[in-house]
Amino acid sequence: MTAVAATLRTALANGLANRNSFWFQVSLMVANDITWIIFWVLFFHQVGNLRGWDAHDVIVLFSILLTTAGVALGLCANSRKIGQLSADGALDETLTLPVPPLAHLLSTRVDAANTGDLLLGPVVFLLAGNPSPERAAMFLFGVVAGSVVLIGFLVACGSLTLFVGGRGEQADLGFNAILIFASYPLDLFGGATKMLLFTAVPAAFVTGVPARLVRNFDTPEALLMVAVAALFALVGWGTFHLGLRHYSSGSIWIR
Amino acid sequence: MNPYLAGWRLGFLRTIRSPGDMSVRIGFFAIILVVMTALWTAAVDANGGSLHGYTRTSLLWYVFAAQTAVLGVRPRSVEEIGDEIGSGTVAVQMLRPVSVVGLRMSIDMGEACARLIASFTVGALLTWLFVGAPPSLPALGLTAPAVVLGCAANIASCHAFGGVAFWLLDAKASWFFFQKLVFLPGGMLIPLELLPRPLELISFALPFATMAYVPGRIAAGHPDPLLLLWQLGWLAVLLGMAGAVFAAGERRLQVMGG
Repeated sequence: MTAVAATLRTALANGLANRNSFWFQVSLMVANDITWIIFWVLFFHQVGNLRGWDAHDVIVLFSILLTTAGVALGLCANSRKIGQLSADGALDETLTLPVPPLAHLLSTRVDAANTGDLLLGPVVFLLAGNPSPERAAMFLFGVVAGSVVLIGFLVACGSLTLFVGGRGEQADLGFNAILIFASYPLDLFGGATKMLLFTAVPAAFVTGVPARLVRNFDTPEALLMVAVAALFALVGWGTFHLGLRHYSSGSIWIR
Repeated sequence: MNPYLAGWRLGFLRTIRSPGDMSVRIGFFAIILVVMTALWTAAVDANGGSLHGYTRTSLLWYVFAAQTAVLGVRPRSVEEIGDEIGSGTVAVQMLRPVSVVGLRMSIDMGEACARLIASFTVGALLTWLFVGAPPSLPALGLTAPAVVLGCAANIASCHAFGGVAFWLLDAKASWFFFQKLVFLPGGMLIPLELLPRPLELISFALPFATMAYVPGRIAAGHPDPLLLLWQLGWLAVLLGMAGAVFAAGERRLQVMGG
């Protein structure tokens, strides 16, 4: 655990080494996120209430998505790169180290731009999420559990490259699918799509369920959230380690 | 063979020979259509079946065409152009006896055409499946050239925006800014008629509407040839701007000894 923490600290220091570039990328991402907030405000201005969701609720959902994506794609930036790293034979340098390989990979790289999401998400919640202590606690709980689900899912998708080959396209498709579905209110979807969001592409557990918990806390739903987070952590870990048996070295030691 | 035609052919063949990349894009497009169908269906239902004259069917055919036109262009095109300029790679391209920007745009257009064929076909089939026949079949026919013109205008703009790297040595900020202009004033995320009036008027005065809104509007059941003329007019302006930016940038690069 100490080695992983030290790696993450180094990755952060590396990301911050060029401060101008870091803050420039952060500000670009913040501006990008603000564009989406403007879109939602304009959309709801035109449409009004949508199956029980108004602009306010969607902004809370968006703040959860920003923070979750900030953790999964900013702090653990390699979570969406497992497929590409495997295809490039770039796991060699990790596999030679006396550390848990997945934990090391996830803590090796910090993405400056997505760190902007991590900074903006809580600010949006504080400004627009009516943050009482209970709601703030649920926000934090949802972000932690949602991040675990998102990282587990992305690692599992990326690890598919180890089984079926390719250049990490499976991870790209999974990444696009879960982020797009997680950006919209859960109640928009019905039937098979909704079923998909609770199972194969667990976007519901990245934003939808956490947003619902912030609105109305429900103990069984919170317990379900914990169970699903544990399940996806296990799925990600298991798929990666099983996939490693198929990994062929690319003889790449330094990148 | 004409070098620009050869560039177009190169881009086209390169894209159809990358089935992995192509399948990810088609998958991405399918997901967007599923999400947008759910979103706009709920929005129209909540507003008595119509939003500023757009029904559920016309809105979703709008989404199909607007997204097809935008997804045809390589996502980080502006940034890549900036990287090539910033890293000095463009100096090598300048050794060729052809226009750098002309050849680049030909290759990009070849790639875009390959993507458009796939995404137009799959997207139209999916949209038909989700919401039924398009509001007007002649409109769907006219959507095809509108999508190609929208893509061409987008590629020309990417080069005009990316060319700022001749001065700034980086085009990340300009890529980002450009992308957002296509999203909102361009009508990719929401038809311009649904924007607040002042923003709608500003958007109509800008060229970005020709890249997403026009194909969408035509597919939504408005086969007005004037819309194509509007695209052609802006395409000519944007091609001129891209050429002028690169010409000025290349002169500057030579002065600097690049």
